[in-house]
Amino acid sequence: MTMKSEYSPTDAASRWPLMLLIISGASWLVLAGVFALISSIQLHTPSFMALCPVFTYGRGVAIAETAFVYGWLANAGLALALWVLMRLSGEPLRAQNWALGGWTFWNLGVLGAIIGLGLGDLTGFELLELPGYIQLILFFSYAAIAIPGLLAWSGRLRRVSFASHWYAAAALFLFPWLLSIVHVMLFSAPVRGVLQPIVAGWYAQSVWTLVLAPLALSIAYFVVPKVTGKVLPSYEFASLGFWCLILVGGLTGGRHLVGGPVPAWIASVAVVSCALLFFHTFVVLLNLRGAFTAPGVAVKFIAFGVAAYVLGAVFDTVTSFHVVAVQTQFTYFDEAQKQLALYGAATTILFGGIYFAVPRITGKAWLSPLLVRGHLMLSLLGIMLLVISLCAAGATQSHDLLDAKVPFATITAHTRDSLVGVTAAELILLLGNICFLANFYGTACEILKISSPATFSPSSAMETPAS
Amino acid sequence: MSELPNDPRVDQAKASDEGLLDAHESALGKQHAPDGAKYRLLPIAILFTLSGLILFAGTYLNRYAGHYSARIFNENAKPSSGAPAAVKIDPVALGKTQFNAVCITCHQSTGLGIAGIYPPLAGSEWVNGPSARLIRIVLYGLKGQITVEGHAYGAAAMPVFGQVAGSAYNWNDEKVAAVLTYVRQEWGNKSGPVTADEVAAVHKAIGDRKEMSEAELEAVK
Repeated sequence: MTMKSEYSPTDAASRWPLMLLIISGASWLVLAGVFALISSIQLHTPSFMALCPVFTYGRGVAIAETAFVYGWLANAGLALALWVLMRLSGEPLRAQNWALGGWTFWNLGVLGAIIGLGLGDLTGFELLELPGYIQLILFFSYAAIAIPGLLAWSGRLRRVSFASHWYAAAALFLFPWLLSIVHVMLFSAPVRGVLQPIVAGWYAQSVWTLVLAPLALSIAYFVVPKVTGKVLPSYEFASLGFWCLILVGGLTGGRHLVGGPVPAWIASVAVVSCALLFFHTFVVLLNLRGAFTAPGVAVKFIAFGVAAYVLGAVFDTVTSFHVVAVQTQFTYFDEAQKQLALYGAATTILFGGIYFAVPRITGKAWLSPLLVRGHLMLSLLGIMLLVISLCAAGATQSHDLLDAKVPFATITAHTRDSLVGVTAAELILLLGNICFLANFYGTACEILKISSPATFSPSSAMETPAS
Repeated sequence: MSELPNDPRVDQAKASDEGLLDAHESALGKQHAPDGAKYRLLPIAILFTLSGLILFAGTYLNRYAGHYSARIFNENAKPSSGAPAAVKIDPVALGKTQFNAVCITCHQSTGLGIAGIYPPLAGSEWVNGPSARLIRIVLYGLKGQITVEGHAYGAAAMPVFGQVAGSAYNWNDEKVAAVLTYVRQEWGNKSGPVTADEVAAVHKAIGDRKEMSEAELEAVK
């Protein structure tokens, strides 16, 4: 087997769709950060920008969430999944025009959604606030972006399949499935009454467990053994962990309906699925534990992401039980949980993947080491502060809400200090992401120059000595 | 450019893509047999973890899934026998419903009737008298003249209410009993309730027949 260098013509030939996906993702991330910051300020200073309809809390939160999930996580996750599938296939991406077309319409769709949300045209469903007409555009453009990935998977030069393959392919297949079902059941032929929250809860949870988490894991499973140069420990259980996620991941949707007006078995199945999913998390932790000791910025991000993923799973399982849900439901704990998953786990793993991938895609080193380190520090600090502040606010809120004598205004006043912490965290994260975006734009511009190529040391740790 | 392993601008990889694929492929097919008695603890621990979680899941669902019924909303609900529990109906409430639906037309909501046409129920010696007479009036109806509290009434006939041939109402014994219980405690009346069993006994003893007359009723003690 001839050894390919870390930067190869394969990467150069697949560069454009990947770079465009990442650059749009990073831009949406900063936009999401701006809206998240404004919305978090309004939680403790309600008069802030209250007269401008676009920035009012309801629309601002929906815009921040939509830009974050459909703008940032989807664009960056798809870019890295395509990149990993391309690298493992050993050939340049095929059908790149599909990816470029898909990229164009996906981002026009997200832009349309944000304009729609700004005008107040939003739905009432978590993680699916974007208007119904945009969902069709997203469905077709995601499928178009997925085509090169699936071609790279099916047309790989060697029949070997690796954990990254499974997770990436699952995410590519499952999102159109999820979106089409939820679109039919909530928009084109809406189901009635109590079925709606069940469908919406299933979608919100599945888009995390079956799309965003697999996208992140496919990158982590690729980068960690590349950097450590060692076979993943307990790799023989990776497939069991994968199937555990695919089989029970979608059943955890009833977790938010505990105690709600739905048949008891829906919540109970979700509780049990959360616990079973713990096995998947356990396997991921065993497989990727090498990340905690390996050097490099990419792996530091990924190690933090894996830790957040495990912590998030514990959080999910514990709060799904009825006795705990009584305390945590309808408080800032829900938000802390969401941020721990979407920011703490998915986003940091994607950051790590991007820091690892971009020098290989472009053949250029990152422009500024200061901005790289700054982004790492600000991200980790910001996420920890964000989750801890939200948990503190949640604890105060839960304590007060269960006491019927405490008036609502008092509860709001009590959570004020913690919510100022949330604003500080959002500010730190926004600064970090601006560093990231600036560094990324700078590095992307370097493609046009000849200077500062990335230098890769030989990577032969896993080569078989014979041959 | 010099090679800097810790340069944050490039993350170095120790393994190539091909090496990664090969190494993991061979890791899956690895045999541990030559080690003889040595076994690895971790795989067993992982399988035990999975088994434990599945055991927990089964137990939890058995206890809290509400038999997967679409009608059980409380996870702590006790399983029901399936048959709906028999509901006790308050005879006064049932009687009031019946009275307000039908009897009120002639006897009025005050229970005073209309002088010279419809006899009163409030304070009437017939209503507060022996229940056997009262049961017969409602069950089979009444034709001809009747004297109530010293006034004669005869212009109108009392219709047949019981489940008797030719009845327009076909009230079962329970409804007849309920309406009698109601009128015997309303408008200042203080007589005891009439049970469905009493009505059934009269109904069974007499069977089908035509409307009662005052003389026939007088004969009943």
